[in-house]
Amino acid sequence: MFRYPTRLANARSSQHDSPPKLGRRAGREISTIQQVSGQSSVKTVPRRTPPVLEFHSSAKWKSYFEASKANTKLIVIDFTASWCVPCRFMEPVINEFAAKYTDVEFTKIDVDELMDVAQEFGVQAMPTLVLIKKGRVIDKVTGVRKEELQKKIEKHRTSYIGA
Amino acid sequence: MAGFEGFEKRLELNFSGDDPAAVAEGQDLGLRRLSFESLEKVLRAVQCTVVSAVANHYFDAYVLSESSLFVYPTKIIIKTCGTTQLLKSIRPLLSYAAEMGLILCGCRYTRGSFIFPNSQPYPHTSFRDEVNYLESKLPNTLIYRKATVMDSTDSDHHQWHVFTASDGTHFMSDEFYTVEVCMTELDPVLAGKFFRRLNCKYSGDIDGKEMTEITGIGDIIPNAIICDYGFDPCGYSMNGVDVDRYSTIHVTPEEGFSYASFEMVGPGFDGLGEVLKKVAKVFRPGTLSVATTSAGREVWTRVKSALEPTGLKCRSVAADEFPAVGSVVFQTFTTRRN
Repeated sequence: MFRYPTRLANARSSQHDSPPKLGRRAGREISTIQQVSGQSSVKTVPRRTPPVLEFHSSAKWKSYFEASKANTKLIVIDFTASWCVPCRFMEPVINEFAAKYTDVEFTKIDVDELMDVAQEFGVQAMPTLVLIKKGRVIDKVTGVRKEELQKKIEKHRTSYIGA
Repeated sequence: MAGFEGFEKRLELNFSGDDPAAVAEGQDLGLRRLSFESLEKVLRAVQCTVVSAVANHYFDAYVLSESSLFVYPTKIIIKTCGTTQLLKSIRPLLSYAAEMGLILCGCRYTRGSFIFPNSQPYPHTSFRDEVNYLESKLPNTLIYRKATVMDSTDSDHHQWHVFTASDGTHFMSDEFYTVEVCMTELDPVLAGKFFRRLNCKYSGDIDGKEMTEITGIGDIIPNAIICDYGFDPCGYSMNGVDVDRYSTIHVTPEEGFSYASFEMVGPGFDGLGEVLKKVAKVFRPGTLSVATTSAGREVWTRVKSALEPTGLKCRSVAADEFPAVGSVVFQTFTTRRN
């Protein structure tokens, strides 16, 4: 039985000289960094898109975290490290979601800068995305996993947290 | 007619830097400083892409469209299947490493026997071509070299191809060993779990997670952080990250050319025998081969006693010594019905 080759979800012809190879392995390529200019960890975003909030001091994080307990907003914390290359694959995903899910707050913490916070949330690998609501951890994604993160954001952005 | 080639080619490159002490203490990232742009260029040469990734304090692990990539400060391991031209990664890698002040001190290339050898592009057209290509790309400082095909006496005549090269300074640690397991003729019902469910939205990492759970793969190395992916319409890959050790599984489930691989760095929490028993249970293959590299006698002699109770009978054992890595032992098993 002849199986027709499955094309990759994203067109790769612009990036590769050779045609898509025969084979049934179609994996969706992570949004490529080639589209992101510059190398700052927070991409320069158009004015109307909510930014990803970066925290560089434990004190600032603590006060933000305490304040967040007063409302039911979903907060996504992106734990990364400046030297973490896999984390770079997640950046465009976070920026995309920050633009799309405007009712969700996206934050970013460097595990070396805020070691105590990273330890508090049990971060052992990067990137780790922690979803919190009213000061409680309600979900977690470890590694560059776009679909799983999207599913969890959509699930929790409007879910009710009981008393 | 050719189907998808599950059998992988595995390339490991070992480097030394200006300041080995800094690397040993974890202060120098070494190869992990390779930017994602450079990594993408290397992978483009090999014709595969990153579909998922994770990092911890010891190494970076990438799931690729055609298997896996592991980047340690002084070691890089690429394992690819299908018709990828793995060896074409050598030139760009050596070039980027040199820019970072890293010198190649050791190389290891291994693979089993292709199911569809005629579908492989140059230089994977034959082991001779592969070795000649490797020889031409490696620096002259790697003066100790050996290429051997380790034979088996099973009915399919599975062979294990090994090439290692060393400059004499690098030696595999006494502590760690690697295990490369290749399986064919997977139990069709178990292999069926690696097909995407119908009418399912494109969701590779979610499907991967489900496959990990329903097949019991998640229990093979319980402490590992798993990065998994389910391909469309079928196929599965996973990397396990356990402190400084990786494990990796890749599955081609289609009947007629079904294949699964399992690789790990040991020693782990459980003995090798326990791990192999679980692997055999997940796939119930008709044939299974185990190649251990740098493993002591007390490790590889346990393989047979662990696997035979699962219904796999040992058909052959071959052992040889190679530069830098020490002993490679290649054992083949088939079910009694074969």
